[in-house]
Amino acid sequence: MKAGFFEANGRQMSRGAILLLMAPFFALVIFAFLYPLGSLLSLSVLEPSPTLTNYERVFDNPIYATVLYRTLRMALLVSLLSLALSLPVAILMANSRGPKAVFLTACVLLPFWSSVLVRTAAWSILLQRNGLVNEFLQGIGITSEPLRLLYTQGAVVIAMTHVLMPFMVLPIYGALRNIPFDYNRAAAICGAGPLRSFWEVTLPLAMPGILGGFILVFLTALGYFITPSLLGSPQEMMIATLISQQIRENLDWPFAAALVGVLTLLVTIITLVFSKVFRFERMLGARA
Amino acid sequence: MSQTVSSNNKGASIEIDRLAKTFGSVRAVDDVSLTIEPGEFVALLGPSGSGKSTVLMSVAGFERPSAGRIMIGGKDCTRLPPNKRDIGMVFQHYTLFPHLSVGDNVAFPLKMRGVAKAERRRQAEAALEIVRLGGYGDRMPKQLSGGQQQRVALARAIVYNPQVLLMDEPLSALDKNLREEMQIEIKRLHAELGFTVVFVTHDQGEALTMADRIAILKAGRLQQVSPARELYERPSNLFAASFIGEMNMLPVQWDGANATFSEREHIRLPDSASIETVPSGRAVLAVRPERLSVTSPGETGSWRATVSDVVYAGAGSLLITHLHDGSEVRLRVASAGQAPVRPGQAIGIKVPPEAALLYPADAAR
Amino acid sequence: MNPRSLLLNAYVYAVLAFILLPIFIILPMAFSETTYLTFPPQGVTLRWFEEFFGDSRWMAATWFSAKIAALTAITTAVVGTMATYALVRGARTMGTIFQAFLIGPIVVPHIALAVALYLFFQNTGLSGTVFGYVAAHSIIAMPFTVFTVAAALSSVDPALEDAAMSCGANRFNAFRLITLPIILPNVISGGLFAFIISFDEPVIAFFLAGIRDKTLPRMMFDDIEQNLTPIIPAIAVLLTVLSIVVLLAAALLKYLADRNSTAREET
Repeated sequence: MKAGFFEANGRQMSRGAILLLMAPFFALVIFAFLYPLGSLLSLSVLEPSPTLTNYERVFDNPIYATVLYRTLRMALLVSLLSLALSLPVAILMANSRGPKAVFLTACVLLPFWSSVLVRTAAWSILLQRNGLVNEFLQGIGITSEPLRLLYTQGAVVIAMTHVLMPFMVLPIYGALRNIPFDYNRAAAICGAGPLRSFWEVTLPLAMPGILGGFILVFLTALGYFITPSLLGSPQEMMIATLISQQIRENLDWPFAAALVGVLTLLVTIITLVFSKVFRFERMLGARA
Repeated sequence: MSQTVSSNNKGASIEIDRLAKTFGSVRAVDDVSLTIEPGEFVALLGPSGSGKSTVLMSVAGFERPSAGRIMIGGKDCTRLPPNKRDIGMVFQHYTLFPHLSVGDNVAFPLKMRGVAKAERRRQAEAALEIVRLGGYGDRMPKQLSGGQQQRVALARAIVYNPQVLLMDEPLSALDKNLREEMQIEIKRLHAELGFTVVFVTHDQGEALTMADRIAILKAGRLQQVSPARELYERPSNLFAASFIGEMNMLPVQWDGANATFSEREHIRLPDSASIETVPSGRAVLAVRPERLSVTSPGETGSWRATVSDVVYAGAGSLLITHLHDGSEVRLRVASAGQAPVRPGQAIGIKVPPEAALLYPADAAR
Repeated sequence: MNPRSLLLNAYVYAVLAFILLPIFIILPMAFSETTYLTFPPQGVTLRWFEEFFGDSRWMAATWFSAKIAALTAITTAVVGTMATYALVRGARTMGTIFQAFLIGPIVVPHIALAVALYLFFQNTGLSGTVFGYVAAHSIIAMPFTVFTVAAALSSVDPALEDAAMSCGANRFNAFRLITLPIILPNVISGGLFAFIISFDEPVIAFFLAGIRDKTLPRMMFDDIEQNLTPIIPAIAVLLTVLSIVVLLAAALLKYLADRNSTAREET
């Protein structure tokens, strides 16, 4: 990972001072992240004795393998849907000035900063049997009686897209804004019309932002807990709900730990593969 | 291989007709008319905010004029989008596409014109050879130096044989040596390929050495359009006179034949001194420092002055002197073969009458 | 407007409607007189706000969350600023480890972290304690604070500290008197973001909650899962107002910081 943002500058401090200043940070990470996660993962291979049976269960049992596959499929669906919705928004944001730009940014940021629970509750209200969506569908004659929308995979995908979309819009917007205006002028004078110029120049240059946003949404969706738990069907769980169930209902810690291990391994591999385009500071910087 | 690019290119004429561009209440370009001959090299010169870039961007099609017309090669282009104008352009900061190789950058205009891939490669390589970067096609722009990047930008601009080449301060990002090298390079290409060049710069030296004609702009208005020599020796107004090179400007009283600047000092001027008729009364006498020379004080026809400062600068020296009425006169004299002059010394300043130019005082604005 | 940008605008406004619709649907329900949630809401009443403020369990949860969020904000601001400063002023080799430690908690799903902390805190008796929550929330909020601070720190001319030290200040005083005042707006807005993240955090809260001490998001989760009363829209209104206030505060801080830096450039 590139450290550009944290480029050292200024007069260097002594080693002792640096260690002293960093100590609380490292202590916190070890105490509340590395050690707990490490000891949980160690459960998955050490309980009751050194073994891989917990992992074998994840892949051998068709029920669990299906959950894993469903989780991957839904995360991909959410990412693709988010991309399709986010790209035009980011393009318009990057090309707007003045009050319109402020308005668009506010529209994207407002839900970003409002509670995930509140937004999930809103979808639960919208999608319930006598909710607005069903009324609308009946109103325009698509269906004669209320559809079961809540507690379906569709509800989870739509609500998760809604919750995670800002994570896609902001990095793409940031990447688009960083493309100097002159590149499109150069493309135009070379003979490229607006669409051609977008396709040949803007899109490739914004690709790190697009890919970064996509990966971020995909990773977050993989382990998402709240929305699938509240809007999804217990028969069609995603992995996070399964983990919760194994702990809270079955008290099967070693197996839950193996599920966490699979999930963690998956996100770590994806992060490392895409670490080049994964410039977190850019994504999070855009958030403020 | 270079003949692919250079063949039958004569350059197109550009007619800028009463061009105006306003941004809100600001008149960035105000009634500018300029006809550029096919194959001509014209520099737009002016301080920042003079409107020179806006004129160029209007020719390129990036600015839509508020009024006026732009004809390229006899065709009205005023409303034509930039991608349909068939113009080559070099931008200030190279603007090479960072995700494309050097070769793909140069081939980009050909790709937009539907040229087949193999032919694109061949023509791009030819264009790179013209700018002496043959064999660099596979590198990425980032791997090249600033000067090389600007050459690539130049190759991209000329690769499809445009009849017009626009340049927006293309050398301002380069250091001095590279800049001079590129000036020669651009002149050479212009001579070889024969396209029409419109070149924006704020560097008067660059404009003087490169352009056939120089158009001076100030506050959106055209001040003068002339070849370099005429611009330097006979600037048409006080702004042009002060903008190009060094100039002594002395307030004088003008009676139609003599210019008087204090009780005793006056100079009889030839008719040629006034570019346009100067009414009697207050006027400004302009003379280049290098046209003045030192004589003994009191010599007939010379001005009496006191030396305030001598700045030795190798081949030449700058003398800063003051006349009796306090106005400052600067002289640039050769350092060698001069009797040494010291601060405080009284001298005479010899002014060749043909070197003096007279302007109406109020034109200074 | 040409057809192409008309199409783009139409598409974008449809997406924005999708983004805003759920929020604009739920907020008015807070004022509904019915005990079930329906749209459009019927009547106007402040009953649900009264119920929220009058219920000791909701109030306790709110204060509990506020306490955790405030301590999380302070912890991340102080710890994050110290570490970022050390990193920018010299710890070249630690940059990669630091970033990995910072990014790890973002990449690793909250469910994994929550389950791990649940196990660890149960064994150490930290479940449901303020200390446990603050440690956990600081981990997930830290990146946001650090990047906000780093953005400010990387734009501070390090020569300013040299100048201060040449005037006789020691390192700490140079930081305290010169650098800190310049980056303070960013440190504070980083802390504000941490506050919101903690105050809103549902996943860790779901697992760490003790029998008695529940955070506000945990109470909301239970309510949504079980009966979904109009108290949730009422809380949504309050949370939205809180978010807007914090965002405006952050924007104001950014404005002040920008004004300071332009003033510096001019002098």
